[in-house]
Amino acid sequence: MSVKIEDQLKEKILNVAKKNPKGISHKDITAAIPEVSSAELVPAINELLQQEYFDLFNQNGVLVYKLKAQTSKQAVKGADNEEKVVYNLIEEAGNKGIWIRDIRVRSNLANTQLTKVLKNLESKKVIKAVKCVNASKKKVYMLYNLEPDRSISGGAWYQDQDFESEFVDILNVQCHRFLSQRADKIKNNPRGPIVGRTQSYATANEVQKYITDLGISKVELDVEDVITILNTLVYDGKAESSVYPDGSKVYRAIDPLIPAPGLVQVPCGVCPLIHSCDSTGLVTPQTCVYMKEWLE
Amino acid sequence: MSHQMGRVVSAILERHFGEIVQKVGDDLFSYGGRPIGMLVRHTGLPRNQVVDSLRTLLKFDLATFEPYNEVVVDYKLLPENVLLMIRYPRYLLQMKSKYGSEAEMLVEELLQQATCTATTLLFNIATKFKDDKEKSITILGLKDMFISLVTAGYIQQAPVAELKEGSEIPTLIPVATIVPDLDSRALLQAMNNGHINDIKDNIYWRVNYDRFHLDFRDEIMIKAITRRIDENAGELMRFLLEKMYLTSAPWAPESSPLCAVELRERCRSAATDKPLLHQFVDQYLKVLEENGGGFVRRVGDAGSGQFAVRSRHAALQLVLCALEHCVTERLGSKAARIFRSSNLERLIVTGKVEGKTLRGRPIRWSNHISKELEKPMNVAMHEATEHDELIYTKKYIEEDDIQKNAMLVNKECKQLTYKLMEEHFISVQPMRKPASAGGLAKAIYLYHVKLHNVAYTGLEMCYRSLHNVLRRAAHERSAHARLVDKQRRVRTIVHGMRLRGEPQRNIDDVEETLTPPELAVLQGVEKRLKQLSTAELELDRNLFIFKWYFMYPYVE
Repeated sequence: MSVKIEDQLKEKILNVAKKNPKGISHKDITAAIPEVSSAELVPAINELLQQEYFDLFNQNGVLVYKLKAQTSKQAVKGADNEEKVVYNLIEEAGNKGIWIRDIRVRSNLANTQLTKVLKNLESKKVIKAVKCVNASKKKVYMLYNLEPDRSISGGAWYQDQDFESEFVDILNVQCHRFLSQRADKIKNNPRGPIVGRTQSYATANEVQKYITDLGISKVELDVEDVITILNTLVYDGKAESSVYPDGSKVYRAIDPLIPAPGLVQVPCGVCPLIHSCDSTGLVTPQTCVYMKEWLE
Repeated sequence: MSHQMGRVVSAILERHFGEIVQKVGDDLFSYGGRPIGMLVRHTGLPRNQVVDSLRTLLKFDLATFEPYNEVVVDYKLLPENVLLMIRYPRYLLQMKSKYGSEAEMLVEELLQQATCTATTLLFNIATKFKDDKEKSITILGLKDMFISLVTAGYIQQAPVAELKEGSEIPTLIPVATIVPDLDSRALLQAMNNGHINDIKDNIYWRVNYDRFHLDFRDEIMIKAITRRIDENAGELMRFLLEKMYLTSAPWAPESSPLCAVELRERCRSAATDKPLLHQFVDQYLKVLEENGGGFVRRVGDAGSGQFAVRSRHAALQLVLCALEHCVTERLGSKAARIFRSSNLERLIVTGKVEGKTLRGRPIRWSNHISKELEKPMNVAMHEATEHDELIYTKKYIEEDDIQKNAMLVNKECKQLTYKLMEEHFISVQPMRKPASAGGLAKAIYLYHVKLHNVAYTGLEMCYRSLHNVLRRAAHERSAHARLVDKQRRVRTIVHGMRLRGEPQRNIDDVEETLTPPELAVLQGVEKRLKQLSTAELELDRNLFIFKWYFMYPYVE
């Protein structure tokens, strides 16, 4: 009989907690379930805490109970206490991950024990280790089902922490092609240059759609990614960017102001030895092989 | 005035005037001003040869003199003018395309004579082409052309030598050009008599290089706008420049405001040629202002908009563009991306901390540097005009940001950055934190483009290349001098035989003295020399942009 009442009480408390995802204090519980005395409440809450239904927080000196996500509760089923502690630390770190040293410091576990625990959790596919792109030696742990943060994985441009420059190059070329298709609209447009200019502009969204439709990318590219690519075009001097009144960025393919100047048309302009070239000595214009090839 | 410039100047002097003048020119270049006595001692040439060289140099305005004391004169080389000798073919081309072949002849003759009276000039050309029926050149036609060239400013009066009292050394005084009134009847009579002894003419003329350079500048600006926007915008740029000449100094960094109403008038008169331009003048002005590389700036709204042409800014943009091309070709497009991104990124540096300054701008370390909100180029350009001096101090970029912007592999990016630094395209500004308690004083390295310095690097490279091209051409010539000489001799003989009407068989005999392998070699030499002289002209075009940029004093 008493067991049943206790169960009902737990159910009630859980219901209250579900209604307040931000957490409930002792006061909230007594307000919501006035018929129960605090003496009855304490063992019920204790039991719930033991069963890992609640997380306990200290908010401005008041104890707050917060309902745990159901999955996390299940994930550590059958785990011992050390595993739970480590698991909680990793969970807290979210998709940014946590470094093994930080876990050790915060959990107060010995190194060997900790590695064992981590290995265990990893084999259960509860957590995973992710290598950080900025520091290749640094491994961070996070929950198995989480997508690593951009600062860790490097975003769409990284594959196994290697920067995929070919991928970037291909996208760069494709974006440029897309912009150049429109670039001529500004020239002698019968509806005036401003309309022409607007037609020659492309928003990042349009470019993103074009890239997605091309199907060259296995990874889902969002607009931010496309903007970074478009910015490389701006830095290449192949495009200029502007802003629409609504704040969206637009891009337009452009040609350089002047064609290749004389300096780069002669071999000296691109010669790696230009600074060692002199009237006498081993490198001279008279005997220059680059010059000879060029004149052939 | 650099070592590289000296080498180019030397090579040019050698080509045009020979070794003796080259020797004198070299000596003048390396020591600045020198009197004749010193020149004789240092060059080891006989006195009369030195004097002759100096005469040549002075005649062609390649050197100048100033009194050292009452009797001794210091001679000085004008290296900038020597460099212009490369540009002579362009002057001629410009004349031919703008005024026709008569003008070309006039300018060519005048360039060869350096200074000359109008009568002599006209008489010489007319006599030269007297028998040439195809061209039908008359002295009167030449006279009209001469006058129109003077009016347009391509030819100006040469400075007049004046003796000051108590001094034996004349000084050259520039004279304002007055359009001459040449007597047609006297000229015709001179043609009939075959000499010009009867005509008194003591006004000397010379070519005004600056006027040509203005033409070149306008052409570059118009072409750039045409490339960036379209022909109509290019035409509008031309009109703006036309209007600019009426109100401002031609090389002014920024012209005085030009009224849109007048421009509209001008476009209306060109409506048949460019109907679109006439229809959308205001739109074109707006597009030109926003997307035209900052060549034109809106300065006010009075009279439905006022615009200024920014010659200085245009030069800056063009130099930057030329340098970007150079980086692309030398180190690849990825290096160019880094170069551009270190030039575009801006950091705002604000606040104060003990004595640490970044180019005179105090820095706060707590939140030391914040990136300026991403702005499109034209907005940034706009601000650049308002704080012309500010934008440079802001153009710094951190190493990590370079990588992020350029989207390159870390290693490659660093390598290219250091390579750019090695070749002096970008500079680095290390910023050390004041020693912190941790002892780990980490320095931040800020990269930036010092355009003025980089432009010098580019200029030096241009000089070097030009020198190499000239040298190579001289080498080609001297290596095959014997053959070229032979060919020339054969041609003269054949020409003489043809005139004498000798039988074809004899002519063939003479022509066959040049064997087929020799002919093949000659063809190769000709081709190479042609390519080299094209390269000279192209390099000169490049030099022109740099010179234009350096014309304006450096503002940090």
